[in-house]
Amino acid sequence: MGSSSGDLRYELSQNAYIKLVLHSLNHLTSAVNGVLIGRISPSNDAVLIDDAVPLFHSHLGLLPQLEISLMLIEEYFSAKGLNIVGYFHANERSDDYELGGVAKNIGDHICRYFPQAAILLLDNKKLEALKKSKDRSAVTQLYVRDASKNWKLVHSEGNNRFSLREPSANLMLLDYIASEKWQGIVDFDDHLDDISKDWLNPGLFN
Amino acid sequence: GRLEALLLEAKGSWELAEKAYSSLLEDNPLDQTIHKRRVAMAKAQGNIPGAIEWLNKYLEIFMADHDAWRELGEIYVSLQMYKQAAFCYEELILSQPTVPLYHLAYADVLYTLGGLENLQTAKKYYTSTIDLTGGKNTRALFGVCLCTSAIAQITKGKSKEEKEGAQVQSLAAKVLEKDYKQRAPDKLPQLTTALKSLTLSS
Repeated sequence: MGSSSGDLRYELSQNAYIKLVLHSLNHLTSAVNGVLIGRISPSNDAVLIDDAVPLFHSHLGLLPQLEISLMLIEEYFSAKGLNIVGYFHANERSDDYELGGVAKNIGDHICRYFPQAAILLLDNKKLEALKKSKDRSAVTQLYVRDASKNWKLVHSEGNNRFSLREPSANLMLLDYIASEKWQGIVDFDDHLDDISKDWLNPGLFN
Repeated sequence: GRLEALLLEAKGSWELAEKAYSSLLEDNPLDQTIHKRRVAMAKAQGNIPGAIEWLNKYLEIFMADHDAWRELGEIYVSLQMYKQAAFCYEELILSQPTVPLYHLAYADVLYTLGGLENLQTAKKYYTSTIDLTGGKNTRALFGVCLCTSAIAQITKGKSKEEKEGAQVQSLAAKVLEKDYKQRAPDKLPQLTTALKSLTLSS
């Protein structure tokens, strides 16, 4: 059996990380969200986040589109042995660090199927400072549920509970931002408006 | 005057700008732009209850401003205040009954609220969205399938309208599958499985 969320590590792959941040940059004036795709590590001590799917940039709090997207995404990735292992959220305002009701509810819903699911909240200030800071840590905050199922911020300073898999991820991210790669990101909202748009974003990392 | 107030807001002097806006509105309560600036400023500061209050006051005067109703509806949805959001979309449908966007948003909100009556009404509005868009709205087609499934789970075969409902659902499913086959064929397998699970549970 897997460990409880209390001692699990969370490791975020570069592709998932960059995709999510680019998605939020593509919709600067709205809240956006996405799901994290991955698996438990073979050693049972970490959640490995291998990929991500950007979901919506409007009406994040409505159920129909969320239910459809989760169904289709889960179906696609389970064939590859992967699950929905978490949720990503970026608030509308850059100085808003609150994990709102919508984010918590969606996180809770994902926990029903993957109990160790985590929420990543975009840290806008850290993102803005990235060009100067050359910081190697992710521009996201990690939240996991405690024993009473409340979402708690995990302080990653000094421990390795949350890490980027590739140490150069931020350099890659800055590169993608500089070449404005965020412009072509397709999310589920885009797909539902035009199903020929692919929420897998296959051409993004070529 | 107005320009000074706008400059204060642009500089981020929130309190001074708010005082300026309020006094301008006392002198001229019909100044639409200043009303909107007050709402925008509240939103920018994260004062969402304030934004809601000012927006409601604005709509009491300018009840035909569709953008404002939409904005209010969106704010309510973001706060999970779905009943209040539904009211906004009802207003929009009343004043512009042929705009499919409002039917769709209303249906989405009702589905989110849940409960048999809301689901049945949501289904009606997904159907009207489909009518208004010539059968092409993917979200409405999915919505019909979701509603039928959710309704069936509540009524568990005790309702007469279920057979009719199943027909509408299978029609919607067929349209979706045909569309995906043409325009997103690599996503068709997941669609088929998802639709199957929605029709099985109904």
